[in-house]
Amino acid sequence: MSDLFQVPWSDYQSDLLDALWRTLSYTAVSFVGAVLLGLAVALLRLSRAWPARAVAAVYTELFKNIPLLAIIFLSYFGLASAGIRLDVFTAGCLSLVVFYAAYLSEIFRSAISGVHTGQTEAGQALGLGRVGIFGQIVLPQAVRQALPGTNTMLVDLLKSTSLLVTVSAAELMSEGRLITSSTFRALEVYLIISAIYFALCYPLSQLLLLLERKVRAGVPLSPWRRRRLRTARALLAQDAPDAPVGADVKAGAV
Amino acid sequence: MTESFAAARSTSQALPEAVVRIEGLRKSFDGRLVLDDVHLTIGRGRIVSVIGQSGGGKTTLMRCVNLLEQPEHGTIEVAGEVVHQDGRTVCRDLPRLRRTVGMVFQRFNLFPHLTAVENVVLAQRRAGVAELEALERAVALLRRVGVAHRALALPDQLSGGEQQRVAIARALALKPELLLFDEPTSSLDPEATREVLTVMRELAADGMTMMLVTHELPFAREVSDHVVFVDGGRIVEEGTPEDVLGAPAQPRTREFLASYGSTS
Repeated sequence: MSDLFQVPWSDYQSDLLDALWRTLSYTAVSFVGAVLLGLAVALLRLSRAWPARAVAAVYTELFKNIPLLAIIFLSYFGLASAGIRLDVFTAGCLSLVVFYAAYLSEIFRSAISGVHTGQTEAGQALGLGRVGIFGQIVLPQAVRQALPGTNTMLVDLLKSTSLLVTVSAAELMSEGRLITSSTFRALEVYLIISAIYFALCYPLSQLLLLLERKVRAGVPLSPWRRRRLRTARALLAQDAPDAPVGADVKAGAV
Repeated sequence: MTESFAAARSTSQALPEAVVRIEGLRKSFDGRLVLDDVHLTIGRGRIVSVIGQSGGGKTTLMRCVNLLEQPEHGTIEVAGEVVHQDGRTVCRDLPRLRRTVGMVFQRFNLFPHLTAVENVVLAQRRAGVAELEALERAVALLRRVGVAHRALALPDQLSGGEQQRVAIARALALKPELLLFDEPTSSLDPEATREVLTVMRELAADGMTMMLVTHELPFAREVSDHVVFVDGGRIVEEGTPEDVLGAPAQPRTREFLASYGSTS
């Protein structure tokens, strides 16, 4: 056992922290980008105009059927040879965004089209416009549907940042390779690197599960919703007025 | 049509102002005619029940009033304003029209991600009502329909009767001039049906203008001023509930009522 751990880890502490930060940056930036692009593609796919649907379908099928590693090589080496030089962070994020947006768009599309048409009609009947109906009725329900799949994709994306070792992106895996090449302790180094990934991914997925459960149970997450429900509770706690106010509803006197 | 309706109703009252006026309405789905040359007027404070077999066009007729369906031909006038004419929506502010007309659906269509009280608040806020005022009105309306104790529950935690009463409160929140009820008790058990009908009876007593598509013939007879029997996309017979439900003139109406066993 004493043979196993011989790398002077304290010497690499700050490098590892940098690499950890880089991994988290790749994950955060790429995930936000993939969610936005994925949503846009999902909306195109649900569009009434067939050219929009066609473009979105081609995009989704294309990037779902190419390995992520090939996309990384294309955006870093391929584009460079065509004269478009992206720095490694941009190329890395771009690859992760286009790849994961393809999967997320499928999740979002099924979530949005899974919202019952009666919901849209109820919104229309209440005089809401298209934006109001989408933003306040369809999207919140679609998010509820899409959350489990999206959360899986987030954890998967975090792990996939390790593929960026192939373009020396200075994230955790690249740092692991550097430490290995100077210490020749591959087993020890990659065990530690794996442990760090686990320490990131496991709590993240548990946290997301908790979030899913809260959203499903209708727990208010935004401060304004909490405030609204607090006010409602206070109003409900007040004694009901003697005469039912409703008698004047029609006359607009409530 | 308005004259005869008013005359049939009462002689002491002046002619009621029409909240809805439909003339020569025609609508088809995929070439199949579902409404053909339908005329209907609903005076302020009146309750009009539309009865008929499923698929006869009565729900489509109701959905034309707030333009959830677009007819191909005819005129629709709501609250004195022509909103649709011969296949064209001429109403410039569709959301405003729809706020004038409250609608209660057969399947409730509450927003499942929001509590009962938030369901009643949502459209008010979009219509520009201040937060506190919207909440106060929502709580008052939930009290009125008897579900205030469930105000903070999500729709799937509510019984069918409670959900439909929340839906009625939601429809009332924008102070509509007219309420549309599309088979409001068809998905409910007898107990819940009674709860919902009680609320509707109270609204009727308060003078709310209502259009009601229903299979609850005894209820239609009790609350309606005017009953319309629709079959095959046409109004076959209309008149007072006593006439249409008690002594129908048309053989087709008699046939329909006999199938319900309620011509008495």
